[in-house]
Amino acid sequence: MTSSSNSSRKTLSKIACNRLQKELVEWQANPPTGFNYKVSDNLQRWVIEVIGAPGTLYANETYKLQVDFPEHYPMEAPQVIFMNPAPMHPHIYSNGHICLDILYDSWSPAMTVSSVCISILSMLSSSTVKQRPEDNDRYVKNCRNGRSPKETRWWFHDDKV
Amino acid sequence: MDSGDDIHDANDIESLNEDIESLNDNYDNYDDDAAAADYFDDDDDDDTHPAKSRRIEQSFTILKESDIRQRQEDDIRRVAAVPSIPHGAASILLCHYNWSVSRVNDAWFADEHEVRRTVGLLEKPVYDNPADAKELTCGICFEAYPLSEIETASCGHPFCFSCWGGYIGTSINDGPGCLLLRCPESACGAAVDQDMINLLASGEDKDKYDRYLLRSYIEDNKKTKWCPAPGCEHAVNFDPTGTGKDYDVSCLCSYSFCWNCTEESHRSVDCGTVSKWILKNSSESENVTWILAKTKPCPECKRPIEKNHGCMHMTCSQPCRFEFCWICLGAWRKHGGSCNRYESGEQNETEKRREMAKKSLEKYTHYYKRWASNQSSRQKAVADLQEMQSVHMKNLGDSQRQTELELKFITEAWLQIVECRRVLKWTYAYGYYLPDNEQAKKKFFEYLQGEAESGLERLHHCAEKVIQVFLSDDPPSPSEEFNDFRKKLTELTNVTRNYFENLVKALENVHDGNPCDLDKRPWGAGAMMNEMKE
Repeated sequence: MTSSSNSSRKTLSKIACNRLQKELVEWQANPPTGFNYKVSDNLQRWVIEVIGAPGTLYANETYKLQVDFPEHYPMEAPQVIFMNPAPMHPHIYSNGHICLDILYDSWSPAMTVSSVCISILSMLSSSTVKQRPEDNDRYVKNCRNGRSPKETRWWFHDDKV
Repeated sequence: MDSGDDIHDANDIESLNEDIESLNDNYDNYDDDAAAADYFDDDDDDDTHPAKSRRIEQSFTILKESDIRQRQEDDIRRVAAVPSIPHGAASILLCHYNWSVSRVNDAWFADEHEVRRTVGLLEKPVYDNPADAKELTCGICFEAYPLSEIETASCGHPFCFSCWGGYIGTSINDGPGCLLLRCPESACGAAVDQDMINLLASGEDKDKYDRYLLRSYIEDNKKTKWCPAPGCEHAVNFDPTGTGKDYDVSCLCSYSFCWNCTEESHRSVDCGTVSKWILKNSSESENVTWILAKTKPCPECKRPIEKNHGCMHMTCSQPCRFEFCWICLGAWRKHGGSCNRYESGEQNETEKRREMAKKSLEKYTHYYKRWASNQSSRQKAVADLQEMQSVHMKNLGDSQRQTELELKFITEAWLQIVECRRVLKWTYAYGYYLPDNEQAKKKFFEYLQGEAESGLERLHHCAEKVIQVFLSDDPPSPSEEFNDFRKKLTELTNVTRNYFENLVKALENVHDGNPCDLDKRPWGAGAMMNEMKE
């Protein structure tokens, strides 16, 4: 599913608001392990703390995810990026963009913030080396002017990490 | 010349005739849809038509939208003949297997389980909703709905009508990928078929989906292609097991193209040469833009002249009256109708390097000018033919007391001109790529090309200019004069056809690997040249 960068700036549709309120209630009742929702009154932008899972390269490290919802969420995918500093990971660029198919082409409206978070933590946990993607510098340079990762054509070629 | 194994070259002389006849038929049927439809109908039992036997041998069929829908539906039904495959599932299976009924059947009977898994046709739900539930929660908006407002694919995952509509709409607006739509539940993979689309999508989305499905039937099917003519909505079904090498296809819209490369028909020249030439034209076009300028000065009196007729024989207006060739600007009487040979001049040793570059452009320009002139000349001829049919034929019939059948020779002459301009045009692309060191082959080819061109110029001149006296406001009364004209035009048509047959045959022999043998000319060229004397 594609979406324009503008849609993320438009206010949420009624359907999106209802759905996000339900997700938030569910999250507060059953928060996924390893995540903390940073309370705010902005339903359209969630900030979530991620704690590296014990026994992995990121154990005891804390990062922050910024989740922005488009007008037509959940028909369109949320924009999910790591806030500075982003973890060192072969699929995470230094500007916080994450190469993960469910955030782009493979997004489905039946997914939730919670299921996305769990996928990201699993991606972190399975990493065997702390390094940036090979094309980090080129990619980050191309993303100046605040380009959204949703405008990138991603190639998902590595399903191991 | 490049000639890949997968590129089949032109045909034989019979097919030139066939092509002319089919052009002819097409033209006759131009305003008559029913007749045009009959044309392509193999079951047509109209035995009175002389070209019928050939029609059946045609290796292609033109499909209108109604034909496409009919065939698509027939194919879906053939797959759905298997008891365990409902109609909607059959359509999805065909989408996955490039609309090949036999591939679907082969795969299905080899491993039904695996096919069901990859395509997303579940035998039973994987998600069990509580049997006694009065309400179910939609997996997208998380609201509870009564069962009547919930729909599921074969998997059983429940979503409300509104969320289904949004999900399907988003997918349809993303493009033809919607034809392989799956259940929204991640990792579920159950297929969403057209029946569900029709139940849940908005009217506009349903229409778009339907369009994608129709396009998929043509575009994903190896045996069909859309006619590439702008604005034409017909498709062509091509049967490669048919008559072999003939890739020429002619659509109901009257556009002819090559099935193999979808460029316009270029019979007698292979697809590789055509694509090289087209690429070259696009990269060189800036250098030769000036050639295409609409006017040229008269070589004698230097007044600007605009070419508004198809044939290359120009006559400057009064008082100059200089007759010259539009292409080479030489006096007409000097080259007698053709200037096809490329003659490289003497080279100055000191300027060799500079000359080489200039020569290469000059050589290209020589061929390009002739290629492009024949192209525009052909377009003019097509327009002239239409005007002849729609305006002049009736007047001519009245003034000369001729029946439609008696005037058919004029249409035939124009059809011959249109076809010959096309063949001639492509021989210039061929000529450009003929290696300079193969002198014998080159000479032989240029000889045939020159003969053909000069014959065509006479024919074109006669059909375009000589006829004018009978089309004037004050035409001569029925007379011997018109009979002479008929005789002359008919003869020129036949002679030109022969010349082009020889040309096509010679090019084909080259493709087939038989070098042209100057000692074994299979035709009576001398006799024909005599015939041409006016």
